[in-house]
Amino acid sequence: MKQTLSLFALAIAAVPSLASAQTVAEGNVGVDGRVAPVCILGDPDPATVNLGQLSAASGPRTGRVATIANRTVLLPASHCNFAGSVLTVRATALIVGDPAAPQAGFTRAVNYTATASGWSGGASAATSAALRDGSNATTSGSGAIQPLPSRADITLTLSNFTTPGDGFLVAGNYSGTVVITLGPAAVAN
Amino acid sequence: MRKLLILAALPALAVASPALAQVEGRVDIDGSVATRCLFTLPNATISLGELSLTSNGKLDAAKVNGRTATLSGWCNGAASTMTVTTTQLTTGTAAMTGFDNRVDYTAQATVNSVPASDSSLTAGAGAAATVGLFSGDITVLLSAAASPTGGIMVAGAYTGNVKVTLTPAL
Repeated sequence: MKQTLSLFALAIAAVPSLASAQTVAEGNVGVDGRVAPVCILGDPDPATVNLGQLSAASGPRTGRVATIANRTVLLPASHCNFAGSVLTVRATALIVGDPAAPQAGFTRAVNYTATASGWSGGASAATSAALRDGSNATTSGSGAIQPLPSRADITLTLSNFTTPGDGFLVAGNYSGTVVITLGPAAVAN
Repeated sequence: MRKLLILAALPALAVASPALAQVEGRVDIDGSVATRCLFTLPNATISLGELSLTSNGKLDAAKVNGRTATLSGWCNGAASTMTVTTTQLTTGTAAMTGFDNRVDYTAQATVNSVPASDSSLTAGAGAAATVGLFSGDITVLLSAAASPTGGIMVAGAYTGNVKVTLTPAL
């Protein structure tokens, strides 16, 4: 009889271990990546602005800067994917290629205002202030900081065409440049 | 020939007679092996790098699709199952209109050519697959990457997760 009881005890002891070990196992694969802060400007349309004849061809202003209509350039779908970006415009006056200093009363520079709007609350603008000899031709201006990632169509308007001292324009081909920069705002130390 | 057979029968009778006085005890021995699953390599990381296209800032799905990681483990029960639970890639910065801050994807875990998968577009785990007894690698494959609106990806660090669960069963 004693032998029989011992056998029962062995059998019972084996049962609980079967139930208690049945647990799930978990594996984990972490997935990570990054997106770099970036700004993209839409391709300017048109990429070149041809103002045509700059001087008045007749009337009391003959030879001086003509009334030139405003011109616009669209930079569609421009964007920055981070907060704290700013739009900067750098305008370089229209200068005739001849580097010689002009005679008194003449000028080889045409100034203008470049205004880029659509990015943040305030536009970015720069008015060139070249001297009649073409020096000091470039001016920059920045708008307000865009506090959020943003996507917008930026419109550049060229306006207010003038000459230093309203002088007579030296004959030749004039060219200027507007550089639009979209990027992170400068951080003060 | 006949005499030899009679002599051989006598010793056999003599041996059997002492056993009538013996008792016999018996010990049965038994045990069990619980159904178990265990990961021997439970963690891995897939680093996707830059997620956006340099051309337009939108998700570069090729950076996600086809990426793999390998875990290792085993199950000893014939009806053991495997499920996959995915968590989408996200970053902490809010997304304005035209931007996305989330990447959804599908993860498929495969054991012995038996796949189980889940999409981060739906909550919870995917359907369970019976993997039975196995010991070896569990390959995790990412696919079907997409951002919610196809917008520009917000800058930042993105993290997600694939959880593979092995459930033992007989």
